[in-house]
Amino acid sequence: MAEEIPVLLGEERLLEFLEGAVQAARHYGPAEVLLLRAAGGLTRFSRGHVHQNTAKEEVEVRVAVEREGRVGVATTSSLDLGAVREAAARAAEAARVLPPDPDRAGFAPPRPFPEVKGFDAATAASGPGERAAVVAEVLSLCRPLPASGYLETGLEEVGIANSLGLMAHHAMSRAGLEILVEAEDSTGYAESVSSSLSGLDPGAMSLKALAKAEKGRNPREVPPGAYDVLLEPAAVGTLVQFLGYLAFDGKAYLEGRSPISGRLGEKVASELVTLVDDALDPRGLPSPFDFEGVPKRKLVLIEKGIAKAVCHDLSSARRAGTESTGHGLPRPNSEGPVPLHLRLEPGTEPEQALLSRMERGILVTRFHYSNVLHPKRAVITGMTRDGTFWVEEGEIKYGLKNLRFAQGILDALAATEGVGSELELVKEFFFGITQAPALLVRGFRFVSTTTF
Amino acid sequence: MALEAPTEFVQAAETALEAALAGGATHVEARVVREERESLSVEGKAVKGVERAEEIGIGVRVVAEGVWGFAGVPRLDPGSAAGAARLALEVARSSRPLARAPVKLAPVAPATASWSTSYQRDPFQVPLDEKVSLLTAATRAMLEVKGVVLAEAMADFWKRSTLLLTSEGHRIYEVILHTGAGIQATAVEGDEVQVRSYPSSFRGDFAAAGYEFVEALRLVQEAPRVAEEAVALLKAEECPAGETNLVIDGQQVALQLHESVGHPLELDRILGSEVGFAGASFVRPEDRGRLRYGSAAMNVVADATSPGGLGTFAYDDEGTPAQRVILVEEGVLQGFLSSREDAQALGLPSGGAARAAGWAYIPLVRMTNVNLEPGEASLEELLEMAGEGIFMATNRSWSIDDRRVNFNFGCEVAWEIKRGRLGRMLRNPVYTGRTTEFWGKLAAVGSPETWKLWGTPNCGKGQPEQVARVGHGTAPALFLGVQVGSAR
Repeated sequence: MAEEIPVLLGEERLLEFLEGAVQAARHYGPAEVLLLRAAGGLTRFSRGHVHQNTAKEEVEVRVAVEREGRVGVATTSSLDLGAVREAAARAAEAARVLPPDPDRAGFAPPRPFPEVKGFDAATAASGPGERAAVVAEVLSLCRPLPASGYLETGLEEVGIANSLGLMAHHAMSRAGLEILVEAEDSTGYAESVSSSLSGLDPGAMSLKALAKAEKGRNPREVPPGAYDVLLEPAAVGTLVQFLGYLAFDGKAYLEGRSPISGRLGEKVASELVTLVDDALDPRGLPSPFDFEGVPKRKLVLIEKGIAKAVCHDLSSARRAGTESTGHGLPRPNSEGPVPLHLRLEPGTEPEQALLSRMERGILVTRFHYSNVLHPKRAVITGMTRDGTFWVEEGEIKYGLKNLRFAQGILDALAATEGVGSELELVKEFFFGITQAPALLVRGFRFVSTTTF
Repeated sequence: MALEAPTEFVQAAETALEAALAGGATHVEARVVREERESLSVEGKAVKGVERAEEIGIGVRVVAEGVWGFAGVPRLDPGSAAGAARLALEVARSSRPLARAPVKLAPVAPATASWSTSYQRDPFQVPLDEKVSLLTAATRAMLEVKGVVLAEAMADFWKRSTLLLTSEGHRIYEVILHTGAGIQATAVEGDEVQVRSYPSSFRGDFAAAGYEFVEALRLVQEAPRVAEEAVALLKAEECPAGETNLVIDGQQVALQLHESVGHPLELDRILGSEVGFAGASFVRPEDRGRLRYGSAAMNVVADATSPGGLGTFAYDDEGTPAQRVILVEEGVLQGFLSSREDAQALGLPSGGAARAAGWAYIPLVRMTNVNLEPGEASLEELLEMAGEGIFMATNRSWSIDDRRVNFNFGCEVAWEIKRGRLGRMLRNPVYTGRTTEFWGKLAAVGSPETWKLWGTPNCGKGQPEQVARVGHGTAPALFLGVQVGSAR
């Protein structure tokens, strides 16, 4: 990164700031300070050319002050202790007028944090020149077809401290690449996320996106209906992330709004399905603690088809009479806990072997603009995009025009007959990072078609 | 009284402008933004969240060697402002071999101006306990209805102060206040979760206004009805599937307009800027003046001058004056939402729709207030015209393909229409269609008395993703022969 934005505040400076910030805030009562800092750049390309190229540093200091069991939060973008003091005063004033919260859970006590690795100094320091070199390679490999997408590099630092003595810091680097290749009447796509720029493989991704666009030319239309599908990891990621949000939020579970409310211990999916949330997995983008300062640990949500657990933050755990599982979001959070590091455990068959098991069906590269139709039944709808293919007797035959699906996620996981052996990191709006394999699912419901 | 930008804004912007020009920039936009935000969330009898946020920073966008570059930092000291300018130059120069140079911009006359939202009560000055009392009174009223498991009330306020200095001579200072609130009741039984919201889903309705907007919503008075409808939905029959006449309320028309008219008419999408992420558009540049988008009852404008809209301002973030652009006239496509660069590509003047989500972001083509012009019918007359059909209200879900053709919308509630009158309540209603076919079925739009400017505070676009607050003036509308069904 250019010298104009400091790459890393670093543990020493950050902890010094947090100590001073808590000291300033505790004047008003028990206090917690959460620091979120992100710095980096994003180079965006459209149809063969870089068209938007940006760099930024963002800082958010969230100061929570408790007064008689009521917590107010104020935020500033400044690392100046005077600004923190002002934020603490605003937070305290907010706490003063609030009615009591029966679910108040206070702040997290200090506990040992697991060690995670996920910081690559070279990636964190990458600037627009490094990004341009990778983008040039992508554009060149995809020619003569035009490529669009982005390459992002940067870092995130999270620090948290409170007046109980908790003090923690974590830095992670990140690199993300998306490539979309357009032919006259088809598109192809590849995406990857990693904690290091060298962990991306722009060459292989370009060729993958290009091959899909080429293979999808002259797409045909199939009528809506139930089809066997091979869902590639990006498509599986959408299903899994929506399920994480809908089903495994401990608050929704307690309120009876989750599709698995009252069903822990019951079979909710095929026995091929094991879903965990594991923020410590070095293959993901690991994190040692949540935004309330609770240590992260692996949590098994579904084991061989049986629903095993839901996520909790401090507040929902108090209601449930249990401990936080380390899934708290930044205060104030009225939404509830969310699993942000989901992993659908891989199976034993490569994607090609799953494909060879399909007699007739549809291969889906990814979904687009999915949304919840029926939260309690975990039914979502969305469109296919960027590589939808007709499969016959284990072979991809031709590209298809895109289709709209409307499908219960648990129903799809119950109808899963094969799980791919390779995991990919996929990203969906709002939902963190998920590791997903390909899935072979019977009777997936498509409800309408579109014009391309 | 003319507004004056704070001295620290002016110094930072001038420093950045000078540093960028000294470094070889041929065009510079220095934008200092301070945003104050307050967010209140009440759940049951407890306040689950009170957050008061303030952020400040400078974003510098330059053209150097014919190519764009941008950098933003959360500080206004001279070193940071100049540093952001130098970084923007470095970003631009690194893109040079891969960019389509040179950047060309539609001309805009430089302006010196200041402007502020009109309001009566500054929500940031209203005592917190007054705001909390109103919201808790609403949740208590909802909880009195048996069967409600979750009663929520929320309010959000934003005050954004922006100073834009450009190398072309713009010096524009705007203070824009956005205010909103809403309530929501949830009822659960078996495998049904039913939610009713007021005045709109997803944290309520919003406007460029002061706290008087919240007071006028009458949240406490509406709370019992909202709660009763949530509980009643548990026992309601599923919305039947089939093709029928459909009346949708103004709030749902707003989202229909947003997804199937606003986004596809963003000129950057049409030209391919968003193809890698949110997608492109079925609309082509050459469709202007030719494409039949809908029936003759369809008249749509992008109006940044509509009083009280979330897309209302005096100048956009490129310094183009707010304007009223005709998008669709009597069903025929007539215009686009555009920025200076995209408009120039078609030889058009900028439509004044370049908006940035804050100092850390570049301006993108965004909706302003994309409004469906009113027709003449009252709601009762729309129902009479429908004869037999379904009336749906309040958006619950939305989904549309990446060229904005095939869509699916779910609503919180529906009622059947029998012989021109509302009948039994129906639950989990959805409707689906294709954009131009659907708008071609538009038979009538509600009268000016039923027309209202809605606020949509959560429009996502771009990478890094930006969230914009946009407006939609709509009235209830009747569509003939639409595919409807149940979300189950």
